This record gives sequence, C-alpha cells and structure tokens, in this order.
Amino acid sequence: MAAADSSSVALRRRDLCSRGIRLAGKMRSDVINLLDTYVEQQGLDASASMAVVEGVPMAAVEHWDEQTGTQRLLENLAAYRAFRALLAQMLEEQREQLGEADAALGRALAAVLLQVSAFAYHLEELLRLESRGPPSEEGAGPPPPSHLGLFERKLWGLGVLRELAQWAVRSARDLRQLTKPSLGSSLAPSPAESP
Amino acid sequence: MFSGWNWVAHCLYLLLNICSLEVSGGLVQSCGHIIPESPVLALGSNFTALCILNESCLDFGNIYANQIIWKIKNKVVPKEQYREINRTVSSVTFNDTSSLATPLTCNILADGQIEQNIYGITVTIGLPPEKPKNLSCIVHQKSKLRYPMTCTWNPGRHTFLDTHFRLKYRWPQENFPDCIPKDVNNSCTIDDVQFFVNLEVWVEAANALGKAESDPLVIDPIEIVKPLSPRNLSVNSGILPTVLKLSWENQISIAVMKLKFNIRYRIIGDTNWMQVPPEDTASPRTSFSVQGLRPYTEYVFSIRCMKEDGVGYWSDWSEEKTGVTTEDKPSKGPAIWRIIDASSSPASWTVHLMWKALEPSEASGVILQYEVTVRAKSSLSSPPEKYNVSTTNLTLKLPNGTYEVTVIARNRVGASPPSVLLIPASNTKAPVKNVRTLPKDGKLWVGWTAPNSYVLKYVIEWCLVSNSSDCTIEWQNEPGNIQGTYLKGDIKPFKCYLITVYPLYADGQGSGQSVKAYLQQDRPSKGPTIQTKKVGKAEAVLTWNHLTVDEQNGFIRSYTIFYKTIDGNETAVTVDPSKTEYTLSSLTSDTLYTVRMMAYTDEGGRSGPDFTFTTQKFGKGEIEAIVVPVCLAFLLIVLLGVLFCFNKRDLIKKHIWPIVPDPSKSNIAQWSPQVPAKHNFSSKDQMYPEGSFTDVSVVEIEADDKKSFSEQDLKPFDLLKKEKSTSEGHSSGIGGSSCMSSPRQSVSDSDEGETTQNTSSTVQYSTVVLNGYRDQTPVQVFSRSESTQPLLDSEERSEDHAGGSDSTTQRQQYFKQNGGQDETNTDRPCFERTKQITSANEGDLVGFAQLQISGQSSQLLGLGLEKNTQEAALLGVLQTSTEGQTVRPETVEGNPLSVDEMPKSYLPQTVRQGGYMPQ
Repeated sequence: MAAADSSSVALRRRDLCSRGIRLAGKMRSDVINLLDTYVEQQGLDASASMAVVEGVPMAAVEHWDEQTGTQRLLENLAAYRAFRALLAQMLEEQREQLGEADAALGRALAAVLLQVSAFAYHLEELLRLESRGPPSEEGAGPPPPSHLGLFERKLWGLGVLRELAQWAVRSARDLRQLTKPSLGSSLAPSPAESP
Repeated sequence: MFSGWNWVAHCLYLLLNICSLEVSGGLVQSCGHIIPESPVLALGSNFTALCILNESCLDFGNIYANQIIWKIKNKVVPKEQYREINRTVSSVTFNDTSSLATPLTCNILADGQIEQNIYGITVTIGLPPEKPKNLSCIVHQKSKLRYPMTCTWNPGRHTFLDTHFRLKYRWPQENFPDCIPKDVNNSCTIDDVQFFVNLEVWVEAANALGKAESDPLVIDPIEIVKPLSPRNLSVNSGILPTVLKLSWENQISIAVMKLKFNIRYRIIGDTNWMQVPPEDTASPRTSFSVQGLRPYTEYVFSIRCMKEDGVGYWSDWSEEKTGVTTEDKPSKGPAIWRIIDASSSPASWTVHLMWKALEPSEASGVILQYEVTVRAKSSLSSPPEKYNVSTTNLTLKLPNGTYEVTVIARNRVGASPPSVLLIPASNTKAPVKNVRTLPKDGKLWVGWTAPNSYVLKYVIEWCLVSNSSDCTIEWQNEPGNIQGTYLKGDIKPFKCYLITVYPLYADGQGSGQSVKAYLQQDRPSKGPTIQTKKVGKAEAVLTWNHLTVDEQNGFIRSYTIFYKTIDGNETAVTVDPSKTEYTLSSLTSDTLYTVRMMAYTDEGGRSGPDFTFTTQKFGKGEIEAIVVPVCLAFLLIVLLGVLFCFNKRDLIKKHIWPIVPDPSKSNIAQWSPQVPAKHNFSSKDQMYPEGSFTDVSVVEIEADDKKSFSEQDLKPFDLLKKEKSTSEGHSSGIGGSSCMSSPRQSVSDSDEGETTQNTSSTVQYSTVVLNGYRDQTPVQVFSRSESTQPLLDSEERSEDHAGGSDSTTQRQQYFKQNGGQDETNTDRPCFERTKQITSANEGDLVGFAQLQISGQSSQLLGLGLEKNTQEAALLGVLQTSTEGQTVRPETVEGNPLSVDEMPKSYLPQTVRQGGYMPQ
C-alpha cells in the first residue's frame, strides 16, 4: 500500500514537474511576446537596461547547482508569488492608464498572470508532495514602488517582465533538475547541473 | 346667482377627486387573498392553496369560508378538494398539479346566489432542471496566443421554466468567472484558457424549482487542443526526379506543444490521396521531403498537425499546394503491334507498324520522338533501316520475310528500353485455344487457354463490328503468363466486338483465334421483315433477311414466327436463327393470314412488321386437273362435231345454203305465155342425192276428187288452203326460198269451203312450219308468208313486159337479196325438180295438202318428196298438165321487180325453231 502510494506520488510529482516545465516554457514564450507588445505599447526602447528592479526577485543566483530541491521550490514559489502580485499591480495600472483601449496588452498581461499563478500552484503542489507544505503567503508580496514616475513605472514594468522571463528559464531548469531519478526523493542538487 | 352655482360645482369636483384618490391609493380592499401568491409548482406534485377572508368582509357582507368556491380558469373545483379550516380560511388541495391551470381563483356566493371573485393567483407549473450530461470541451486555436475553449453538454429535458445554465471552471487554487451561454443552453466558450494546469469544469443548471450540476470534468486544456493547421506550405522540386520537398510554418509555439504531422498527396487529376507514413512525420518539424514519386508528374500536397503525443485533435488539412517532379528517361518502351496487308502484291507486304504512346508514368517526361529500327532476319548482311517519327505509327512496304522491329521512345533526359516485335513470315506457331469472353464490372474480360509452348506475350486485337463503319482495330499487349485480361478501351454496350488473341513467341507468332462478344446485350432494335416467297393452298413459304449487326444488339438466339387468321388464335413457330426461310404448313385455303416475326437475343425479342397473305383456293395441279380434261373434252367434242359435219357436210350445206333455182336455167325462160315451157324434171335422185332424205317418213298428199288437174283448176290461184296435218306451218312453196322449200303449196284438206283468196292476181301463200313429228323437235322449218301476191299473172305480166332478158336481170337481183347465196350446180337439180313439181301442181295447187314431214332432227326434211308410186303418180300428173298453164312459185320469187312492187313480198329465210317469219 505504501509502495502504491509512493508510486502514485512519484507519478504525480513527475507529472507536476513535467507540466511545470512546459508551463514555464510557455510562460517564457508568452512573456517574450508580451515584452514586445509592452515595449511597443508603452513607447519604450527594447534596449533599455535596468540593473536592478526594485521589489522584483532576481532569477540569478550563485551556487545554483548546490541548491536542494526544496530550496529551489521555495525560492521559485516566493518569486512567483511576488510576480503574481507585481503582475496584478501592472494589470491594474494598465487598465487605469489605457482603459479598454488596449485590450490585447491587458489580455496578454492577464494570461501571464494566470500562468504565474498556475506555476505557483504547481510549486505548492510539489512542496505538498515533499510532505512539507507550501509556506504561507506573507501579505500581498512586495509593495509596488509608489514613488516612481510614470515613465519609471513603465520601465519598472519592463523590468518585471524581463525578470519573469528569466525566472521562467530558471524554473524550467529547476524542475528539470527535480525530475532527475537520482534526485527523485532527496531533491538534492546535482553538482553537474548549472543554470 | 351665477357664482353660487359655480361654487357648488367646484365642491362636487373636489369630492370626486378625493374619492378617486382614495381608490387609487389602495383604499379599495379585496375581501381576501390566496396563499401562496403565484407559486411555481413542480409538474405532478401536490399543491394546497388557502383563501383567507378579511374580517372586515365578514362583518360587512356576512360571508364566511364555507361559502368559498374555488375555480380553475372559470371551472369550479370539486368541493371534495375544499376544506374549511376556520370561518375565514378555506383550502383547496390538488394531488397532481398537472390538473392545474391559471388562474386559480377564490370566489364566494354572496347574498344567496351572487358569485363574487375574491382573489386569484397565477400558477406556474414546470420541472426542475436535470443534471447536464456528456460535458466535453475542445480548445480551438484561433491564433498563436488565443486558445478559446468551447464546452458542450446535454441540457436534459425541457423544464417549461426559465432555466439558466452556467459553465463553471476553476483551478484548485483559483476560481474563474462563470461562462454564461448566449442564446443556447448546451454550449459555452471560454475566451482563453491556460495550459499545463488542470482545470475543473462543470455545468450548473438552475430554475425556480431547483438547480443541478453536471459531473465535473478535470482536464488540462493542452490535451484538448485542436491546433491551427500549418500554413505557408510550399513544394519544391528536389534533385531527384522522384522527390519533392515540402516546407511550412507551424502556428503553435513549440513551447505550447510539440507537433506531429500527416502529409497527404495525390497526382493531380486523381481523387485518391496517398499519405506519407505517419511515423516519418511524428516529430516536430517544418519541412519534409516526399520520396518515391513519379518523374515529371504534378502532385498535390496537404498537411495537418496535432499534439505530438496524440492527445487532442488533428488540425484541419492545410491548403493544397502542387509541385511537379523533374523528368526522367522513359521507364519502358512502347507496346508495339502491326497489321500486315498482303493484298497489294504477292511478293511484298504493306506493314502498318503501330505502337502505343507511353503512359505519363512510363514516359517520365515529354516524348520527343520514336526511333524505329527494322531489321530483316533473313539477310543478316543488310543493314537495319532506321526511322525517326513523332507519331505512333509507321507504314512500310517490305518484301515477304521475317523482320525484327525495334521501337525506342526518347525524351529530353534519355531513351527508353527498346520494344521488340518479331514479324515472322508466317504464323506457324501454336495458337491459343478456347477464346472466351465475359462481361464483368462494366468491362469485357477475355480469356483463353494458353498453348503448351512458352509464350512471350499476347496481343489482343479487337474491333467494333458495324455495318456503318469499318472494323477499326484496337489492340493491347498482355504478358505471357496470364490467360485473361480486361479489354482496355471504350467498350460500348450493345455493340458487337470481334476479338482476336495472338500468342507471340520468342521465335515466331501463333495465328489469331477470334471470338465475337458483347459487353451488354439488348433486345434487337427491330424485328425481321418477313414476306412470302410462295403461297399455296395449305402452305406458305416465308422468307426474311437476317438483321444487320447494328440492329441485332446481341446474339440472335432464335426467330419466332407468329401467324394467325383474322379471327383465329396466334400460332408461334420457333425457327433456327441461321435460317432465312420457313414453310408454314397446314394452312387453311383461301384464307387471309397475318404473319410477323420476332428475333430474340438473350435480353428479349422485338417483332418485325406484320405481313399478310392469302392462301390459294386451289392447290397446285388442281386447276390443271380440271381445265385440261375439260379442254380435252371440248376439243374432242369439237373434233367429233367437225367430223360429223364433215360427214354431213352436204346435208348441212343444203340446209344452210339452200339451192336457189337459177331462173336463167328454168324452163320459164323458154316459156311463152300461151304455152308454158315444159320443164324437165330431174329425177328424185338428182335433186337429193345420196340419200339426203333418209328418214322422210310420210308425205301425205290427199288428192281431192274434185281437184283434178284440170285446166279449170289451174286458173284460180287460190293457194290458201287449210292445213290438214298437225303441222301448223305453211310452206311458201317457192323453190327459190330453199332447197327444202317445196314449190308446191302445202297441201291440207284443201277444203273448198275454206276461206280463200280468189283474186286472180294474187296467191295466198301458206307458211310452212316444221314441227316436230310426234312431239319431236323439228330441225328446220321454212315457212311461207301468208302474203298474197300475184304469181303467174304478175310473172306473166312481167315477162310480157320485160321479155327474156329482163327476167334474167330480175333473177340476179333476187339472188342478191338472198345474201349472196350462189346458185350451185347441186342446187340446180333441186330447183329444176321443184319447178317440175310445181308444174305438176300448177293445175291444182290449192289441192295440195301440206306435207307432213317427219323424221330425225338431223335429217333434212324436204317438201314434196315423193316416193315410189306417189312420185310416179305425180309425174304422171305433171306430164298431163304440161300443156296447161303452169304456175311456178320460183317464177314469182325470181321476179324481184314484182316483189318490189308488192309490199307483201317476202324473202326466203332460214328459220330457226319456230318457223318462217313472214315479212
């Protein structure tokens, strides 16, 4: 009975990882498309660079290959919960600024928001399978920068989306790392893998 | 005054306004109400309503609950369903709401029988919603980023109520707004769905009587995607003539789903699609090279895709694109055959070489020309002759012999393998056997039994046999290992085809074996036209022509002849189809027959036109059998008659041509008025020689005693005497009339008392009629007119006036009147004798009795025929009377002048039975 449960858990975990990877891939694809739309709609330059975006979790991490599976899941979950709040904020600002005039951008933002939410659900489910359970959400995440001007807010939004695209790549690799058989149960990091 | 009235009216107006305000403001109260108010009820459930009366009405109108009447749509509800709860409340109960209708009213009988309505409610009856079933969803990709999901379900039975359906869906951690169907109740489309997360979908149906939810459907929408088909499909020719490369764009990101593909293709103009093996296109890609195609062939391609793992739906087929493979050299040589015409010259042939154009799949390009090589096998030294032609036939005149003909087809890329045909000097090899045909599946199958030898291939020739066109030969090649094939051509039904099978060997050719066949038979288009060749009394020979091959429409299996009389039953006779003649026998003579003929194929028959004929009344030879004997008998009779007449010619001659006395030879020529000439009487034998009167039986001459031949008796010429005999005729007694006529008057009793004409100048001649003796038919009768004319006197007077020469002229005139009857020498004795007899009578003519003449009809009767003693006696008398005045009737007759003068003159005539008709 225990073996059966273990097997079903493993299947469930694999399924979640598999679909999470694909979701991350689609999310990245959609964010890339959204970035183009966003830059165009907001009148920004695609080459605009921002070193650090305030309130946005960074995908880059040192010693990525040394992270455990749970650690990866927790970092991902924290990041996507943050993105969920940021994107919701962006969507609201978008609706306030453009109203229904640019429905496509709003729909695209909403779609990405849904995917972020879905990916967070995947992560929570995976953490549940770890018999650990997802951590409780701490409020509504990092508050949006309210002191920024309109252009800066647009740039900030651009930074959020770019970082989300980065996270999508990282998350796919994290989940791929989790699916490796040797790390199936321990979720220990593989020294060979790196983001 | 006037203002006072205005004040009153104004007060009334205000009062009315107040009253109306009270009414409109709800001051009017009903005397009760019904509970529940406008209920919605489930069909088939029970229902109880209460009618509650107001207390005020109780006091005001003395109405109580026991007076309540319930009505459904003006129909009183039976009181068994009422129940009086108290003095103000009455209930009605319905066990089945299906008996309910709107409105349900509460009424009361006030003041006895006046029914008043208290209250009414509207009842709505329906059904609660059923649980929606068969929920299914599909995601139709609309663009690269739009994936609307459409879910459909079965809404269940009709509820008769306003029922709302909602499509609900959610993630485990997040709810989404419901999808509400528009205008329908069985489907709804969610604008956008996210993949890779399980979505729980269900349908909720709700109305006034309740709500129901379908079973939830938990799906990842990525598994129900119907992607857009690949676009911008292009087809490019490859390096090889059998390869075409396809390229396309996928409309779904590989991040969303990995795709697999189906590629189908067909030759343009063909309807059947071929498909690239699915395993070759089971991975994501945007191009593929299709191999194994025919060179120089135009293909049509189409492609579709679906999720790589096969979960989901195939996209629609993409738009079709065409591509043409490049040319290759012809894959095989053209099939070749020949027709040899040896009729032009005995030493040479006219060989019509013909070959079939290669099929496009075989030509692998555009055939530019054919190279024909003819090599005589007998003379190896002579170089082969080569011909380059662009058509598919070539006519050569070759000396008799064996030839090898080679044909090569050439296109831009190269030449085909050669096709070789051996034309032997004679077809001496073994032919095929048992050539047969069979229509099958709208085509004509030809089968044969192969000869024992190895056959390289077979050639099947066929042509349409028709009267209107020549037999245009079509042909086809078949490999040597088969024994049957379908004819590859436009084989028409109802047409006759002549099919010939030739076996071709490596070193020769077998003679062709032929068979006629129809793809499909039909009734003949017309029937044979029948006619009679010969018609007899009881049989008729019928003949007809065979139907032409165009009219047959099939193999004529039999003919049937139908014949009948006008009112008789039709008789049918079946005739072998090879015959063109048939004899109907046992027919009824002299009868009109109608005959027609039907020709039958396997599919039926058709009748030709009717033909009528009449059988003959007499059979062959019957008429001859009757006519010939009759003719012979007639001829015999004629011959006998001629012989008889010949034998009796004298008698006939005398009878027909009576002897006319020649006055010139009569004694009267020498006669003088005073002394009559003495006539020379010839003997009886001279007058009637050779027993002409063989059967004169009796001549009765009664001599009256008073009538002696005296001078006195001769004076009066009263010749009228009564006939004594039974014969009623009167003889003229004039010898000129006939040889038969007696110069003597007929002698009867010569009664003196009889009426006589006693004039001296005229003589009453008696008419002699020969009747049959003793009831026998008389043969010929001469009669004398009863006219009177002067005989002797006139004769004498004429002689007195005219003299001897004049008398001759008169005689001649007389003869003319006798129809040219010539006086003959044979007549003369008769005449003379008659004259003599007359002379003998001249003394007493009146005393002559009529001669009774009897005898056979064939015997000529004479007058005044004396026999033996009687004659002798008469001669004696005549002798004695010679000296006296003699009156000769001939003289009278021979004196035409006298006759002309006398209106009662007469001419001797041949009288048929009945006697001599006086003139």
